[in-house]
Amino acid sequence: MSRPKIAALILMPCLLFLCSLFLGPKAINPVGLSEIEREILVQIRLPRVLVAFLMGMALGASGAVLQGVLRNPLADPYILGISSGASLTAALGIIGGLTFLGAFTVPVLAFIGAIVTGSIVGAMGWKRGGLWPERLLLAGVGLSFLFSALLMLMMSISTDEGLRRAMLWIFGDLSMSEWQRVPYGLLFVMAGMALSVTRAKALNALILGDEFAHSLGFAPQRERSILFVSVGLMTAASVSLGGMIGFIGLLMPHIMRFFVGSDSRMLIPASAVGGGSLLCIADLVSRSVLPPMELPAGVITAIIGAPYFLYLLRRKHVLSF
Amino acid sequence: MSYTVSAAGPALPPARIVSLSPSTTEILFALGAGERIIGVTNYCDYPEEAKRKSKIGGMSNPSLEAVVSLKPDLVVMTTDGNPKEFEELLHTLHIRTFVFTARRIADLPQGIRELGAALLVRERAEALAKEMEHALARLGSGVKGHGPGKEKILYIIWPEPLIVAGPGTAMDDAITLLGRKNIASSASSAYPKYSLEEVLRQAPDVILIGKGSGMDMVEVSRGILKRMTSVPAVRNNNVCYLSDGLYRLGPRVVRGIEELAECLDRRSPR
Repeated sequence: MSRPKIAALILMPCLLFLCSLFLGPKAINPVGLSEIEREILVQIRLPRVLVAFLMGMALGASGAVLQGVLRNPLADPYILGISSGASLTAALGIIGGLTFLGAFTVPVLAFIGAIVTGSIVGAMGWKRGGLWPERLLLAGVGLSFLFSALLMLMMSISTDEGLRRAMLWIFGDLSMSEWQRVPYGLLFVMAGMALSVTRAKALNALILGDEFAHSLGFAPQRERSILFVSVGLMTAASVSLGGMIGFIGLLMPHIMRFFVGSDSRMLIPASAVGGGSLLCIADLVSRSVLPPMELPAGVITAIIGAPYFLYLLRRKHVLSF
Repeated sequence: MSYTVSAAGPALPPARIVSLSPSTTEILFALGAGERIIGVTNYCDYPEEAKRKSKIGGMSNPSLEAVVSLKPDLVVMTTDGNPKEFEELLHTLHIRTFVFTARRIADLPQGIRELGAALLVRERAEALAKEMEHALARLGSGVKGHGPGKEKILYIIWPEPLIVAGPGTAMDDAITLLGRKNIASSASSAYPKYSLEEVLRQAPDVILIGKGSGMDMVEVSRGILKRMTSVPAVRNNNVCYLSDGLYRLGPRVVRGIEELAECLDRRSPR
């Protein structure tokens, strides 16, 4: 890992973060802020950009961890059904118009849905004293189908307006990000990041197989469980912060493998930083192209990210998963 | 003519009508054709009698089977929410349709006259259309000359995520009719997801909040209004909660505009 690469991994996100803060439907000049510009910057844009960055980080990092844990390059944080569980409970709140916790109702419902689903998947994947990748994957896919079907059922019997609101949330909605969401988002994402980064060495060993990990002195089942919990925390936090954003969890780790290789100790933080930056930029584009209207950030993420990923894929001779 | 009539034309007034939208249901009742309605959508809840009619599904997904099994001799549809394919399906089954095309307040009286012609209740439709035109003229005339300039209005359809009434909607028409400016009228869709920072920048003088289906809008909008405290409308407590009068392009639109005018006049009597 060369110095310029590390510098780029630190500087690029900072630059993109600042871009998405000061650019937008109307650029804001940080020198000589008017009253209204200060309010927009501090009360609207800053929490929004922070939430976007946290969400992207959580998705990128949990994608990198999960692809290792499940030994499957097509795994992403949504494959475990966590997001479908969260969408189901969130949609229940949105369509049913629940407001028992004020503005926090939908995020809290989503978080509960995510954690409950994660626990069910964990329980289904548990056999003979440990978690098994194939079982986890299949349990996740199975639950995902069930919850998506229930969600579709609920949406098809709801009113048109409830339906549209639920759709907006499901396709990722950052427009309601406010300061109150930042602390708990930060807490869960950082806890998940810390868990996974400290277990990165074990993850490297797990990728090579349980026997290999065992011979290096790691307890495969224990490590896998810890990593699974970290993914659950980060995914639940991200879905609860702003709904579902595709692409990042699946492809950001692959993009980063092109740059930093597949050592998890570098890959997890790099995917986190890359995911955060991409979502910031996608959100910047989504609120700037058709002002005063806002587009769903999840759509823009894939429109920007996918062609870049395909370009990298064509250019590289060796794939390093 | 925007509706399809069988070659010979209807000799008898249609007696078994299915209405595929809440607004056409309301118009049919206002035209005195309530008795002849045999089927409505799940969302048709006004007037009270509408709730007791057979249900044929939603607006965007009506059940063909349910409609056909009622053996209607006229299906009243709207271009504002019913799929075009459904009309074609009905035609292949030789079921007569009337398509209501008015989508703006100004087109509504003419739409009512056309529907009245299809139902053979011309006089009643003419009277209702006239009454509406007079009411609209009366509401519009109040502001000309000595109106309070261009007050800026924001009509919130749903607070989180922020969805507002944009160009081409009945709400936008009503605001314009009353001589005010809808700040979202430059948006590129009818019900855009609107930028919160743009609301702060535009600083609307009055915020109107529409009625959600069976929800406490005061509660639902608390969060978003708290984030708009610097906006004149919120600072001066010029926030009105309105009924669903403007959501359905039918006879209750006039009441909806009056309600909006009352809210605006409370602030600056004309």
